[in-house]
Amino acid sequence: MDAVVSTPSLLIALIGVPNCGKTALFNRLTGSRQKVANYPGVTVERREGERAALDGRVLRILDLPGTYSLSPTTLDEAITRDVLLGRVADAPAPELVVCVVDAVHLPIGLRLALEVKRLGLPMVLALNRMDVAAKRGVHIDMARLATELGVPVLPTIAVKRGGADALIEAIQPARWEHHRSIAVPVWQDATAEDAEQTQIDLRGLLAAVGYSAPKESQWMARFDAVLLHPLYGLAVLIAVMFVMFQAVFSWAEAPMDWIDGGMAWLGEFTAAHLPEGPLSSLLVNGIIGGAGAVLVFLPQILILFLFILVLEDSGYLPRAAYLLDRMMGGVGLSGRAFIPLLSSFACAIPGIMAARTIPGWRDRLTTIMIAPLMTCSARLPVYALLIGALIPATAVGPFNLRGLVMFVLYVAGIVAALAVAWVMKHFAGVRQYSPLMLELPDYQWPHAGNLLLGLWERVKIFLSRVGGIILALMIVLWFLSSYPAPPEGATGPPIQYSFAGKLGAMLEYLFAPIGFNWQISIAVVPGLAAREVAVGALGTVYAMSAAGDDVAGQLEPVIAATWSLATACSLLAWYVFAPQCLSTLAVVKRETNSWRYPIIMAAYLFALAYVASFVTYRAIGALA
Amino acid sequence: MAQQILVAAIVVVAFMASAWKLAPARRRLRVLLALDGWAARHPRLAGWRERILKPRLARAAGTGCAGCAANVGVRPQHPPR
Repeated sequence: MDAVVSTPSLLIALIGVPNCGKTALFNRLTGSRQKVANYPGVTVERREGERAALDGRVLRILDLPGTYSLSPTTLDEAITRDVLLGRVADAPAPELVVCVVDAVHLPIGLRLALEVKRLGLPMVLALNRMDVAAKRGVHIDMARLATELGVPVLPTIAVKRGGADALIEAIQPARWEHHRSIAVPVWQDATAEDAEQTQIDLRGLLAAVGYSAPKESQWMARFDAVLLHPLYGLAVLIAVMFVMFQAVFSWAEAPMDWIDGGMAWLGEFTAAHLPEGPLSSLLVNGIIGGAGAVLVFLPQILILFLFILVLEDSGYLPRAAYLLDRMMGGVGLSGRAFIPLLSSFACAIPGIMAARTIPGWRDRLTTIMIAPLMTCSARLPVYALLIGALIPATAVGPFNLRGLVMFVLYVAGIVAALAVAWVMKHFAGVRQYSPLMLELPDYQWPHAGNLLLGLWERVKIFLSRVGGIILALMIVLWFLSSYPAPPEGATGPPIQYSFAGKLGAMLEYLFAPIGFNWQISIAVVPGLAAREVAVGALGTVYAMSAAGDDVAGQLEPVIAATWSLATACSLLAWYVFAPQCLSTLAVVKRETNSWRYPIIMAAYLFALAYVASFVTYRAIGALA
Repeated sequence: MAQQILVAAIVVVAFMASAWKLAPARRRLRVLLALDGWAARHPRLAGWRERILKPRLARAAGTGCAGCAANVGVRPQHPPR
């Protein structure tokens, strides 16, 4: 054992099996707002937060990925083991371990606690979800458990204010000063005999503390009978998705109109009160016409995330994973790929990182390669703009046609992902299949506080993107669309003579076969930074093309009047496939530790996008 | 003329902000570290360094993607020395 230097603060690690409430407890202890959800595998990296101790010292608290054992099978589990053993560069081993155990499912958490105890690190056991355990008739003699384990055992309810007070009291540095670790623990992966011994110890411990298993909930069993049924379950899943996209269009209409009207008013007000010149043009055409055009889509994004957050919190998503496991296995995807792919609907980046929970490298690589095909929220403004401009809001039975088209676009991304996985399975030698082993969490009512916090986070992310990278790029694009000024006697709109106009004319040769005009060709380029920038870019480009007419906040009618249905559908097809997000490619490079895979990903996605757009444009053109 | 100077300044700042936002996380971290080293030699910049630069440096060291709120409000995984 190597000696380590103690610090004045206390370094505490939260460890536990997946979905036992570690991150909720971490948020409660540190005041952070890390993502929590009612399914395993949400945390895939080490996170650190701070809390002031009662004596003024600092408690440094680590939230670690969930693990069932200290003998890891996945990358995220290895992170937990390495942090506990002090094997991470520049990070000492924790001086105190808080082992979080879900009181409802005590045996599985206690098994890990027994392994952690063997490391010899000072430990506190937090019995989380004690309120639910009491309701489900679980009996645990906590005093006896503390005596048997030789560590303090404390009840916690991480999701309730004050639910961690006893734990906070127990982790004060003064109480652990004489226990402070002076050595790095050593761990050897468990042999079969070790595992058997742990199981024997566990049974003895459970008997000693008088543990009684939770009562089976009748209503939960009834729900599962329907939601896990191969036929009814799938029907419910499709219905849920359907309702979600209907709501995105129906519920968002009024708030979108308010923002749209506000932007149009702001554009007119600015144009009326500023003398004509570059400043007025920058504000009206560049900033309001560009960034304002993206801002309009905030209500739709929030409605989409409201549904996702409700599904995450309710415990439904792992059931959906179970339902789709057979289909995913059929195309060569690991059952564990469901959660990473699901995360990719918000953004491909956390999805790609969540692929760390997949044990095999080949399975992990397949998941990473197809994650960008899941429709991320940045694509929503592009879809919504084009659907709003060209698809009438007519009813198809009880459904809205626009919602139906949106649903089809999302399904197209999923089908494309499954097809690519199938190709990788058959032609790239990816033949491993690891079956889905997923603990189904209890159903629960979504926590209103969690939902509001989650939505607030999305508002902040969206506004920071609009006010950050999107605004900056819109100003740059306005400059490129305004200069150089048109020559004497020029008859066309000034943008045609600008840098952007010339670039658009050049790119048009490349994009003409798929039906893109020069305005779209210009917008696609800054869209590489982030997909929704393309909407702002179209706003700016059309505002500049309008030769003085203000189109701020009126992009939809302009598109409806100037684009053909074939062009709009071709652009939609482009956005289903094209990898227009540099950050995603950078994360793929980091996660695979190679440039090879992001290059392959970009190449195949661009090729797919071009072919899909070409076929769509030609097919619809021929039909029209 | 004043209007043109103002617009030119806004455009230059926007160019720099775009380049910064689109730069790889590692390059941004290097620039911030260099800036921090330079600011450390100028006592008059101590306040700016503590209030503005250090938190940015911490964020740059802890996160790889500005577009995702994975680490909002939390200290970095590996605090810079």
